[in-house]
Amino acid sequence: MATPLIGTSESIERIRELIYHVADTGLHVIITGESGVGKEVVAQNLYDKSPRKDNPFIKVNCAALPDGLLESELFGFERGAFTGADRKKRGKFELAHKGVIFLDEIGDMSLSLQSKLLHVLQDGEFAPLGSEKEVRTDAWVIAATNQELEQKVKKGLFREDLYYRLNTIKIYIAPLRNRPEDIPLLIDYYIEKYFSQFDKKRIPKPDPDAMEKLMAYSWPGNVRELQNVLKTSMVIGDWEEIIHDLYLKNQSATARRTEELALKGASIVDVLLDFKGDYSSDQASFSLKKVTKKATDRIEKEVISFVLDKTGWNRTNASKILKISYKTILYKINDLKIKRHNE
Amino acid sequence: MDKPFKLLIIDDDEHVLATLYDFLRDKKYDVVSASDGLDGLKFIESDKQGFDLVITDLVMPQISGMSLISIIKKKFPGTPVIAITGWGEYPGAFAIESQADKVLSKPFELSELDKAIKELISSKKHKIQD
Repeated sequence: MATPLIGTSESIERIRELIYHVADTGLHVIITGESGVGKEVVAQNLYDKSPRKDNPFIKVNCAALPDGLLESELFGFERGAFTGADRKKRGKFELAHKGVIFLDEIGDMSLSLQSKLLHVLQDGEFAPLGSEKEVRTDAWVIAATNQELEQKVKKGLFREDLYYRLNTIKIYIAPLRNRPEDIPLLIDYYIEKYFSQFDKKRIPKPDPDAMEKLMAYSWPGNVRELQNVLKTSMVIGDWEEIIHDLYLKNQSATARRTEELALKGASIVDVLLDFKGDYSSDQASFSLKKVTKKATDRIEKEVISFVLDKTGWNRTNASKILKISYKTILYKINDLKIKRHNE
Repeated sequence: MDKPFKLLIIDDDEHVLATLYDFLRDKKYDVVSASDGLDGLKFIESDKQGFDLVITDLVMPQISGMSLISIIKKKFPGTPVIAITGWGEYPGAFAIESQADKVLSKPFELSELDKAIKELISSKKHKIQD
């Protein structure tokens, strides 16, 4: 049974809907999102809801193996195919017949292997190394990546035809910092899970103040980082200390950025008029109204960012200090693309 | 008076969607619009009477037009689909492979779209009569 998808955020609800509608289609899927967001969990949920759930789910990490080894893992080899191949080995595509092959980190696959993969996706068959005979496979391909495949296509590092072939169904998982409402539910879930997993050792539940800080933290390592923090809390047992450490990491990154900005020392007029950019005075788009809007946005961004840093990204406190509503601060964070400085 | 034909249009480009919607409404079609593949699929699966024809963009987030066409052709095989695309050679080629009944490359004349709709609906009616 797959780990359930935890959360009530719009991103997670949308993924649930997508899984419900596409799990029985057998159409290839690509799952994207930052490291640690739970791409494998989504893949397992797709498999679990599909008619293939009683057949194998085979996972291959395309970044973990050198090219030649990955090829033999995926497609298998005949006896004598290369030095040391003293017996025949079936590839993962063959093993995943009528089931699922989960290709993690597909963005790291070499161009030569990409063309072999494309052949499998198009024709449903492949030749193991050292074999002239094609083997048929009906494996459902679910791929995952934390890379921007569009960019890799543009740079010629990822085949465009393979990209479109895989990109038929795309599931994007938002980073945890963009869906803080899921954090308490994830914490509850993993507290229960680890309770039964680790000798009934109970992780203390964070109090409301600690929970607020955990929700405001940026979680660069996403759900995986949250899991690690929960495991640490089993040992340390003191949320105040754990949160202090998390924010300490955050603050040192903030200090570094402030220094960088001071070193640059750009004049505000240069920045606002941006003579080499869109607002260049000889361009039709230039107007005082646009420059004023840019100036206001810049100042608002700096002030809100400063207050958020001072409050440890406690949005409620920051909105009180700024005398704006909680809803407005959330809107401004999104609109002005205000990010924590360690991102 | 005959009941108007019911069309579903799906495009994640708001501007294209609005233009198509207005044009097809003016042509007296009953039009439903969706701004992505998943919403389009939800309309198709929940609509009891079914659509006479579906017009879909190809490159869209989540469920692409190519997938949508495959799903429609599998679950609602009698529904004609027109694919519209503005993205290179591959999506159009995959749309034909997914059995789109017609592929129109952007930019296209709206009269061309109207002609394709009329032809496909009339050939669908003939198939039903046969």
